[in-house]
Amino acid sequence: MKTENAFQIKQLNLHYGAKQALFDIAMDIPKNQVTALIGPSGCGKSTLLRSLNRMNDLIENCRVEGSVKYEDYDIYDQYYDVINLRTKVGMVFQKPNPFPMSIFDNIAYGPRCQGIKDKKVLNEIVRKALVNSALYDEVKDRLKEAATSLSGGQQQRLCIARAIAMSPDVILMDEPTSALDPIATAKIEELIQELKKDFTIVIVTHNMQQAARISDNTAFFLMGELVEYDNTDLIFSQPRKKQTEDYITGRFG
Amino acid sequence: MTYRNQFDKELEELKLSLIHMGDMVIDNINEGFRSFLSLDIALAQSIIEKDKLVNEQEYKIEKECMRIILREQPVAKDLRLITAVLKMITDLERIGDHAADISKMTIFMENTHHHFEAKQAGLITQACSKMISQSLESFVNNDIELAFEVIREDDIVDNYFDEIKKSVADAIRSSTIDADYALYLMMVAKYLERIGDHAVNIAEWVIFSITGEHKRLNPI
Repeated sequence: MKTENAFQIKQLNLHYGAKQALFDIAMDIPKNQVTALIGPSGCGKSTLLRSLNRMNDLIENCRVEGSVKYEDYDIYDQYYDVINLRTKVGMVFQKPNPFPMSIFDNIAYGPRCQGIKDKKVLNEIVRKALVNSALYDEVKDRLKEAATSLSGGQQQRLCIARAIAMSPDVILMDEPTSALDPIATAKIEELIQELKKDFTIVIVTHNMQQAARISDNTAFFLMGELVEYDNTDLIFSQPRKKQTEDYITGRFG
Repeated sequence: MTYRNQFDKELEELKLSLIHMGDMVIDNINEGFRSFLSLDIALAQSIIEKDKLVNEQEYKIEKECMRIILREQPVAKDLRLITAVLKMITDLERIGDHAADISKMTIFMENTHHHFEAKQAGLITQACSKMISQSLESFVNNDIELAFEVIREDDIVDNYFDEIKKSVADAIRSSTIDADYALYLMMVAKYLERIGDHAVNIAEWVIFSITGEHKRLNPI
């Protein structure tokens, strides 16, 4: 049985001005699985992540060649609805970035932008998003409180809830736990295992033990090239390329 | 440039500990068999005592492997190496037990008449020692060809065992062997044959540490 793909990336080349950051990337990202992107600093993994919802468009002089197919359409087609793309392909960043408003309003913001005004509908969207981000029990009695009053780990789960409220298919995560303590990290990792039942997750991480713990597939990048991409168990037990083995065993960084 | 000099040093020391354990059991096999041939009770008793040191070495290496797993979170070839070591010390410990068992036969045999020459028993002992030594050498040098060579050599050990069986059976039929001695000799031969099997297990784990595939070539 062929696994369906959330993304099909073909011959993706990306330049920041004169500097090329991605070289001929070709990979399929399966649906409802966690795919980890690993590699040393500057290898292009965050650049690739941002390519999946065209966040790189916001960077001046960024030029993309090749294709990224999402739901059979190339997202780099000139007529593609980028705003809708970013609804369907949500993103969570390294540093939690709640809006300066209440917990409720943070999550309701996106749906309100889409024109949803009905209080009952908004209440349900917010409740469901908080439940699915494993945050509801901790905040259900204080939804009107400022989001900034939450701990770092709670804020990150709030950001996940905010993304989920838009009913995405994919959640992109750029080092989502690197600013969090071990317990908050464990909670997010556990949440990711739950989330993949309903969403496709692509995560950039510097923490190889994390990649080994939570991902189904791992892609190793080096200097803008995809060196090796395989089932996570295989990458971490029997990598095929020496560069991959040298990196994951810490023989070079 | 490696960022894990300390870890690499620990792995080298682990290999050395394993070699030391291998040397201990090879020594015990040879001395144990010598005690059997020459009916040297004192030597036999010393081998039985020395087996405690083999067990201690297994425990020491096991503890070190667990510590490395905890501290260094090894992956890929490092994880395979440590997993292989954990499995190999079990086989080495069993080999040590068999060497002690051979020495116990010496003690039981005190009052038997044993004027029966079984040169294959000496040859099996040499073959087993060689297999253990080569399997550990193949591990240290990542020599997969040598590991496969060890596995092939087990056929030689099995052939010697069959020859001993035949010659003892013939001697029993022609009443040219003391009955008790025949039994003890067969038990010693069987222990040596099992030592060969354990050496094959070690070679299989060496192959695993190199390739990531563990194929049981010895039927369980």
